Amino acid sequence: MRFVLAVSALALLATPPAAAVELRLPGDLAQLQVHGFISQGFLYSSDNNYLAHSSQGSFEFTELGLNFTMLATDKLSLGLQIFSHDLGPIGDYRATLDWYAVDYHWQDWLGVRAGRVKLPFGLYNDSSDIDSARTAILLPQSIYPAQNRDFLLAQTGVEVYGYQGLGAAGGLDYRMYGGTIFLDLRPQPGNPITAVDVNVPYVAGGRVLWAAPAPVEGLRLGGSLQFLRLETHLLLPSTPSQVAVNLPVMLWVASVEYTVRDLLLAAEYSRWRVRTESSNPSLVPEALTFSERGYALASYRVNSWLQAGAYYSLLFPNVTRRGTLDGRQHDAALTLRFDVNPFWLVKVEGHYMHGMAGLSSSLNGNQPLKSLSPDWAFFAVKTTAFF
Amino acid sequence: MRICAFILVGLAAASLAADLPRSGYVLIVHPSSRAARIDRKFVADVFLRRATRWPDDTPIHPVDLGPAAPARIRFSQEILSRSVASVRSYWQQRIFSGQGLPPPELPDEQDVVSYVVSHPGAIGYVSLGTPMSGAAVLEVN
Repeated sequence: MRFVLAVSALALLATPPAAAVELRLPGDLAQLQVHGFISQGFLYSSDNNYLAHSSQGSFEFTELGLNFTMLATDKLSLGLQIFSHDLGPIGDYRATLDWYAVDYHWQDWLGVRAGRVKLPFGLYNDSSDIDSARTAILLPQSIYPAQNRDFLLAQTGVEVYGYQGLGAAGGLDYRMYGGTIFLDLRPQPGNPITAVDVNVPYVAGGRVLWAAPAPVEGLRLGGSLQFLRLETHLLLPSTPSQVAVNLPVMLWVASVEYTVRDLLLAAEYSRWRVRTESSNPSLVPEALTFSERGYALASYRVNSWLQAGAYYSLLFPNVTRRGTLDGRQHDAALTLRFDVNPFWLVKVEGHYMHGMAGLSSSLNGNQPLKSLSPDWAFFAVKTTAFF
Repeated sequence: MRICAFILVGLAAASLAADLPRSGYVLIVHPSSRAARIDRKFVADVFLRRATRWPDDTPIHPVDLGPAAPARIRFSQEILSRSVASVRSYWQQRIFSGQGLPPPELPDEQDVVSYVVSHPGAIGYVSLGTPMSGAAVLEVN
């Protein structure tokens, strides 16, 4: 499979750069656009395995997407995106329908999408797979954790969206949604707990962003709120019977972004509330956990081929355990992005990490997190071709 | 509070300082358009596909020049207040998250004029001195 991806990448890069493929279909209105991207990355960490088996260096960091959008009329469009990726233990190059939707854009202030739609959570959740759209290789993992991609990326249901200009007061961009998330259960080697099934009876939420008027045009302020319920049955090694575990979750994030010319500044703060309800509290204790997350980032395009970016990200998975090394993650990142041509880029990124939160025990020989190294460095290199 | 005020004043100053005189390109629309002037913010919303209809409910068909065209660079900085690269990033986010498609990019200014003249509701921009072939010119407020 890797060979196929590598050959595809080479073929893509060897082809002279071309804009999106646009196909005229029979009739005056139908228009099909095809876009795609392919990425290959390399991860290395000085200590601890992070996202993949990075301490030995890992190429398990691949993404491939191909999307088709057809404008059926000036108000109606249909689209889908095929996506395949591998990031350490997740993805495994399985091709999935990343999103698919029928979109009826009735008025600028009101449109409806139905299908599998990317979740508007924070500024960048719905574009977190799109390497070409940002400077950093990894978005701040406190708010956009790559390991949680399946839970946070898209929902199957309905979304209502719109943009309302407010004259001298700027404009409002809003999206509200409700539906479910279909999750594939994958065996987790080394994990003593087995999930028999996982269901999400509902996910609902919305995002509102205010776009400021001149003279601070480019400033966006807003917030996102999401509710979901996750229901699962677990098999534990200590008992033959299943334990039903339900997790009502509420997430919110406050966001601010300012773009002017070639400078981008952004900051977000988020809290996630997770209640654990258990049919057998002696085996799976009931709990109420609040996590706290935030980051500030800056990126600047120096010239047509070079961008530089930096961010500082903080993660406290349980606010009552902030003081412990395995209860926090500080992440200071620096990135350089080189645009070789308008359709091919290369990025290099270095992180200084403090704390063991965000690490996976199963990726680190099932060692408890507190036994891992608290101060470590993480490096990533990635190349992406897109059209 | 002082820090917030300082930041806002700084941001405003940065925006104003970067406000270059509008020159080097003209905005053109289909000859049937009755408007002679247009609000800059509305043009920005049109080219970012936030506004898709004229006030009379006619669909708007914006058309761009290629990313290296001098008129595109100037238009992007002065009307959209972003670099062309930043606009391309904006569209990468929209395209691959299923939120919409960018205006078509045409390689040549005469192609833009032909597109605008042949599509009711169309709007584009070309360098000063480009033959208009019947396209109506708009002034930007």
